[in-house]
Amino acid sequence: MKKLALAGLLAVGLTGCSSEEPQVLNLYNWSEYMPQEVLDRFTEETGIQVVYTTYDSNEAMYARLKLLDDSAAYDLAVPSTYYVSKMRQEDLLLPIDRSKIEGFDNLDTELVNLDIDPENKFSVPYLWGTTGLAVDTADIEGEPVTAWEDLWEDRFDGRVMLTNDMREVFHVGLRVLGYSGNSTNPDEIEAAYEKLSELMPSVRTFNSDAPRMPYLEGETDVGMIWNGEAVMGKDTMESLEYVYPEEGIIAWLDSFVIPKNAKNPEAAHQFISFVLQPEISALISEEIGYATPNLAARDLLPDEVANNRASYPNATDMINAEFQTDIGDDALQIYAKYWEMLKSGR
Amino acid sequence: MHSVMQQPFKTAVLILVWGWLLFLVLAPNLLVVGASVMTRDPVSFLSLPLNLDAYRQLFDPLYLEVFLHSLYMAAMTTLVCLLIGYPFAWALSKVGKQRQLILIFLLIVPFWTNSLVRTYALKLILATNGLLNSALMSIGLIDEPLQLLYTEGAVIIGLVYLLLPFMILPLYSVFEDLKQELLLASHDLGAGRLSTFIHVIVPLTLPGVLAGVMLVLLPAMGLFFVPDILGGSRNLLVGNVIKNQFLDARNWPFGAAASIVLTVTMAFLMFAHRLSKRRIGEEGA
Repeated sequence: MKKLALAGLLAVGLTGCSSEEPQVLNLYNWSEYMPQEVLDRFTEETGIQVVYTTYDSNEAMYARLKLLDDSAAYDLAVPSTYYVSKMRQEDLLLPIDRSKIEGFDNLDTELVNLDIDPENKFSVPYLWGTTGLAVDTADIEGEPVTAWEDLWEDRFDGRVMLTNDMREVFHVGLRVLGYSGNSTNPDEIEAAYEKLSELMPSVRTFNSDAPRMPYLEGETDVGMIWNGEAVMGKDTMESLEYVYPEEGIIAWLDSFVIPKNAKNPEAAHQFISFVLQPEISALISEEIGYATPNLAARDLLPDEVANNRASYPNATDMINAEFQTDIGDDALQIYAKYWEMLKSGR
Repeated sequence: MHSVMQQPFKTAVLILVWGWLLFLVLAPNLLVVGASVMTRDPVSFLSLPLNLDAYRQLFDPLYLEVFLHSLYMAAMTTLVCLLIGYPFAWALSKVGKQRQLILIFLLIVPFWTNSLVRTYALKLILATNGLLNSALMSIGLIDEPLQLLYTEGAVIIGLVYLLLPFMILPLYSVFEDLKQELLLASHDLGAGRLSTFIHVIVPLTLPGVLAGVMLVLLPAMGLFFVPDILGGSRNLLVGNVIKNQFLDARNWPFGAAASIVLTVTMAFLMFAHRLSKRRIGEEGA
């Protein structure tokens, strides 16, 4: 028994030293957020295998990274907007060595050096997108849906879908009442809860795995969706429209970050550079429908993608748009409590 | 000679079993108990001082409501499992040995597939344009698809589907042990079928019923992915609350306290099960 264990150790030790061993990049990303083709081409070009693991909420990703802090399970992750600042401030991230990154200058200047990471020392923008209204025009009669407020109408009873994301759902409730989606005021949050609980009887499901699916499956006709999901959904179901609600959409920017204990930061840098190539960025935006911050890539996009308002909103679409910010832990607890109340309320 | 050969083997097995229990059962549970009495910390999840705030929070009307609703759904699941499982196990104990093996085999086969995958499969069946609705529509039973998915019913169907074997197997074993002589004696002493069932069969199979209830009720409150997939993330179970507290709200002490309550409930049920078994054992002797 002992001998066997020793032999095993020896074998591990040997492969550890061998230069023949294929390198691995552990990529931790949102589900359906990177075309397989990109991973394949990266492996082809660099010989580095990509292990792709997914999550469906920033909270899950954050908890996992924090817990696995020491075991170095992931080399690259893709947190949304304010999670970049949160993780940066909690010292969970490795600085990105700009000298190893090619193509950073191609990025839209409006999407770099933001407050979440003033000099982009820790993050490189990957994609940005919005959360707006999905409407299945084939199944909806009457007035067109133009505002979040419309979801409360009786005609949508039992046909509404919300994302399974606490912050986003409350964002909608807050905006309908005219408050900021980043409110930390307990009274406003409670008011949003009251408002949302009126909507609950109409809500059929919450979904953040693949928010387009309940629409495609015919379970829901109207509700929240991420713009990329709406674009992908439209390929299958022509009648699925993406609408910019009057109260304002929810905007977010997802960025590559390297967790502090990454085992292979070298490969992570290589991957970021790979994705920043205009051709690759364009491919990603075309495939999954979110907007690339890479201006050089935008020139390569076919017209029907570049002019697709769902992916690339115009200035009027962005009126009232709001990025999510870190609301702090106290407010988070208030949200969390009302969120459970909302979901268990009958 | 024999014992010399057996001794190391026996020691190895004992070490394995005890090691398993210590490191994979006792230690994690102690960690959970520890977490439940600590203070929530936004940065490192847990911190001192020790206190019972998390348990106090459990009595918040909101969580009581979730707990009761969860209990209600688990109880419905258990009831349905019992109603299907009891006659099933009875019939199973009556058929020939060959057929018995095949039936038990069929009961176990689904376990070879991950339960998450099976739950997604169930979703395909229950969906608005899923298999069940299209079948019902094609035979003309309904004109409009039924809304089955994302309902309380769908969650209960999912739970029953996943947990039914855990009800059948303990029941099957008590039915196997049911002595025919006792039934004959009851008959000879003038008891009718119903009376034999109520006064002889039910008491004798009660340990199996309790074992089945125990194996179904508690897991039914914890299988958080079933409401997530089939209930549209509504109709929450205690398992969902625990998961949300750990992942979304990052309130570990509270999540830990909730899971301790589940464990304690389980222990209580096991204790009741033991008591009933002992009572019946004495009566049998």
